[in-house]
Amino acid sequence: MIVSRWLTRPFKARMRGSAAWFEDRTGATELLHKGLYEAVPKKGGWAYALGSATLALILLQLFSGIFLLLDYVPSVTDAFTSLDYLRTSDGFGAWVRGLHLWGSYTLIFVIGLHMVRTFLSASYKRPRELNWVTGALLFFLVLGLAITGAMLPWDQAAYWTTVVVTNIPHYLPFIGDGIRTLWRGGEFVGPITLTRTFAIHIWVLPFLMFSLIGAHLYLLRRHGEFGAWVNYSTDPNEDEEKQIGERIRRAEPPYPTKRIARRYSAPRETVPFFPDQLIKDVVMSAVLIAVIFVMGLISGAPLDEPSNPATLSYVPTPEWFFLPLDQFLVVAPTNPLIAIGVFGVLGIGAALMIFLPFIDRSPERRPLRRPEVIIPALFMAFTVIVFAILGISRLYNL
Amino acid sequence: MNLRILLSSLQPVGGSVLTNGVVVAIVILLHIQIATYITGSSTLAIVSEAISMARKDERHGRLAYMMVKSQVQIFAFGSATAILFVLFLLTGLWAIFWTALQQITFWVMVFEAAFFLVEIVLLYSIYANWERLGNHRRARLGMMVLLNITLWWQMFLIDVVASFMLTPNAGDVSILNQILNPTALPLTIHRTIGNLAWAGAVIAVIGAFNYLRLTRHSRVPTPDAPAGLRPLRSIGAMAVGHLETEAKRAEILHWEWVAQWGVIWAVALSLLQPWVGYSYAKEIQLHAYGAWYTLMFGSLSNVFLIQIFLLGMIFILGSLFFWRRMVRSGAPGAGRQLALMVALILLTLLAIQPAWFAGSYADAVAAGGNHPWWQGGLLNPIGNFIPFKVAALIGMVIFGLWSVTSYATALSRGHIVPGGSSRGAQRTALILGVTVSLMMMVMGVLREHSRQPYTINGEITLHQQITNNAPSSSSVDQGQP
Amino acid sequence: MKKMSRREVLIRGTGLGMGLIGVMLSVPAVGFLLSPLFTKQKLTWITVGPIDEVPVNQPTAMIAEVPVGTGYPTPPVKRIVYVVKKRDGPTLALSNICTHMQCDVHWDPSLGNFLCPCHGGLYDIDGNNTGGPPPQPLAQWVHRTHTDAQGRTILEIQNQLDEHI
Repeated sequence: MIVSRWLTRPFKARMRGSAAWFEDRTGATELLHKGLYEAVPKKGGWAYALGSATLALILLQLFSGIFLLLDYVPSVTDAFTSLDYLRTSDGFGAWVRGLHLWGSYTLIFVIGLHMVRTFLSASYKRPRELNWVTGALLFFLVLGLAITGAMLPWDQAAYWTTVVVTNIPHYLPFIGDGIRTLWRGGEFVGPITLTRTFAIHIWVLPFLMFSLIGAHLYLLRRHGEFGAWVNYSTDPNEDEEKQIGERIRRAEPPYPTKRIARRYSAPRETVPFFPDQLIKDVVMSAVLIAVIFVMGLISGAPLDEPSNPATLSYVPTPEWFFLPLDQFLVVAPTNPLIAIGVFGVLGIGAALMIFLPFIDRSPERRPLRRPEVIIPALFMAFTVIVFAILGISRLYNL
Repeated sequence: MNLRILLSSLQPVGGSVLTNGVVVAIVILLHIQIATYITGSSTLAIVSEAISMARKDERHGRLAYMMVKSQVQIFAFGSATAILFVLFLLTGLWAIFWTALQQITFWVMVFEAAFFLVEIVLLYSIYANWERLGNHRRARLGMMVLLNITLWWQMFLIDVVASFMLTPNAGDVSILNQILNPTALPLTIHRTIGNLAWAGAVIAVIGAFNYLRLTRHSRVPTPDAPAGLRPLRSIGAMAVGHLETEAKRAEILHWEWVAQWGVIWAVALSLLQPWVGYSYAKEIQLHAYGAWYTLMFGSLSNVFLIQIFLLGMIFILGSLFFWRRMVRSGAPGAGRQLALMVALILLTLLAIQPAWFAGSYADAVAAGGNHPWWQGGLLNPIGNFIPFKVAALIGMVIFGLWSVTSYATALSRGHIVPGGSSRGAQRTALILGVTVSLMMMVMGVLREHSRQPYTINGEITLHQQITNNAPSSSSVDQGQP
Repeated sequence: MKKMSRREVLIRGTGLGMGLIGVMLSVPAVGFLLSPLFTKQKLTWITVGPIDEVPVNQPTAMIAEVPVGTGYPTPPVKRIVYVVKKRDGPTLALSNICTHMQCDVHWDPSLGNFLCPCHGGLYDIDGNNTGGPPPQPLAQWVHRTHTDAQGRTILEIQNQLDEHI
């Protein structure tokens, strides 16, 4: 009865009716509307697109990772064989694995750029401290996923990565040996090492990651996109206070931002997120994914010899993003310095990175006016670059 | 091409090794000082010009022009020294060695020479058309970048030759192995950073010299200085009745700023050097063990200590300069700067202990320093690799970084009064320049002497005899099970 | 004792219930997670082979099929035993596991040292760490020798190192 009445109505009205029904039951359109029509700063949209590109790449990793699970077996005897099968016989399998590898490389690169952008524009200052903290934790989770992922193929490269990486906790005082044993499932690398690493890679870290992404996005929407200092300049010929007052009065949600210096509470000009910003986000993601798409096909993901702990000629090389750390291990000699170097220096570095918003609390946003953070950051950046180059030179000559 | 077949067909010539060596060393050291300044200042000129364009800042524009002009003034002399030792001294006095090296690194040398041509054209075009290109500053900047790229490539190529002499890659002379020989990239990075620091130091010296010259007879050398701080040293000299003109005041302010600009670059860039130097030494250890031993434990280890001392002096003098500027301006944080200087002095003293004086690992073991406190010992937190030195170097870097950052922060907050400098601060900048210069010379002596008795490590001796016992790089397929 | 309101009882009860669920879930989970700490490695003796032919003062790599001894049953993995014979003094059965990051070291005749390719660690012929980052000398495999029917000296090792690294 109801069905026939519904079917006899004109098509448009029918659709309108069911859309209204769905909207009434779920509120989906309202939610979508709220999500799409928010104000974002007008200048610098391409730089802000790095954030959404990071999200797109993480989703790509999830997507390609699920497909890799169709073939991969997490066992020391079969992991290599299953990937070798995937490479040689399984249709598009090699391409999907290429997507996953190049996706991870691009992701690390892009999330790094996103951090640099946020750092330079001082977007992390109050009230957006927790945006930065969640973002920095996400960065470390991405690195953790990358390194655990590198262990899974169980070829020579993966095996030696596993040996070195699972050995690093050993230098922690008191609990180091315990952590190594737990991760490896014994004193030596063995079958349990691979299954535990696999569990970390596909469940533990992604679970933490998606929780943090939720928090990160929620916080972004709560305080609005900060943008950069260029969005908050005032005309020096006019009364500054008046200009800022006018700006705050005319601000659209989510501005004006609360708990912030008046000058930085509302950008000078904003555009709606949809379509002005979203088009940039989509173009950026599309270009990056196109690069991954092509590299995944033409370069793919390498597979070494099967793992062999009894080698005299194999030179283990780290993944490129761990090259600076590897070179750092070269220059940190002997037991106490290894521990101090790896857990002290790098731990302090990581802590400084995570807690940056609570260290740099001045209201100043222009990079050249913040030498107290820019100079140490430049020093660290140069150190990382220099170590990477030295690492390449060292490995070439081994 | 096989190096060894080639070498065996050459005969040595006579001549005193010592005088031959000294002659070449003097000319080369002179050349290096000039060439590295040109290369480094070329980059700094770009930085300065770019800032000037972005901020419409006259001072930076003037500084950039000064650097370009100074490059023009010394370029001919620098190339002349290069031609002198390449064409005459090395071919005359070190014929066999030099011929062999030329044959091995032929293409590297050809490009090295070709770059001179490009540089001359670019440098003189930029200089001669500086005013005319004033309305096209982007084009001018583009030319400066091109010049800079050629200069850096030239430096990289000569580094390839220099590093090949120390680590000749087991006699493998393919172009790629020359270019990527074990110490080529470490040396290049070491020099890249060193050149910038040296250029900064020269700028600082120029600024300080001009400041001191302009304020020499002046009662009031610091136009905006607090009244109580004006020095009275020139009473009785020509100063009495001397009137400061506005133009002269502006000049004094400018050179004071130039000196400060240079000092910041010189100190900040030097902060990276221990990192790179350590990795460089590590490569020498792995690929030229004898040379490394000479440097670290052998006859040159004491000279190496001078090097460490000079490195410490760069940080100390930088901190001293910053402190004097800060205390004169009444900037907050001057006390901290002083404390940092004291810490840097102590760390330098720690780092320059000779091996026979410093505590050894055996001493640490005797004191129970090799096991942790919960086992009843004193854990030696410094490690057993050259006791205390690595930690002292790391400390120097961290405190040096703090010192620069602290000054730059005071500067950006407007706590440093322009014109508030004392003459003493400027003299510190002068000494800093001399220190960096000395450091480069000592480094040259160290690198060239470490591989004695060879000119190409393991291949040709100082007496230009071919030995062919190059240490092979690690061959890994042995020990058959 | 103060009398609790109904609301307070309910709140406490909710907390108690959640805590109970947590304990029930975490005991087996944490125990399972930590089990490698309490599981002993299965030790076995492995015959490496005759060592009479090994030259003096020249470390020689021999390959042994070493069972892992942890986790589910897997085939043994190949491991290197560096046999070092000295003119005087005991014969060493060094592992080639670097004490720094556990990469495979190899004997480099031109350096006269064991070299670790990962971070440039160096060890002398006795396995003492002589340069680079390694904090400790090379460990030896737990080993013993016996003479077989042909009069050859046979080296046997156990699947553990005699010094904890």
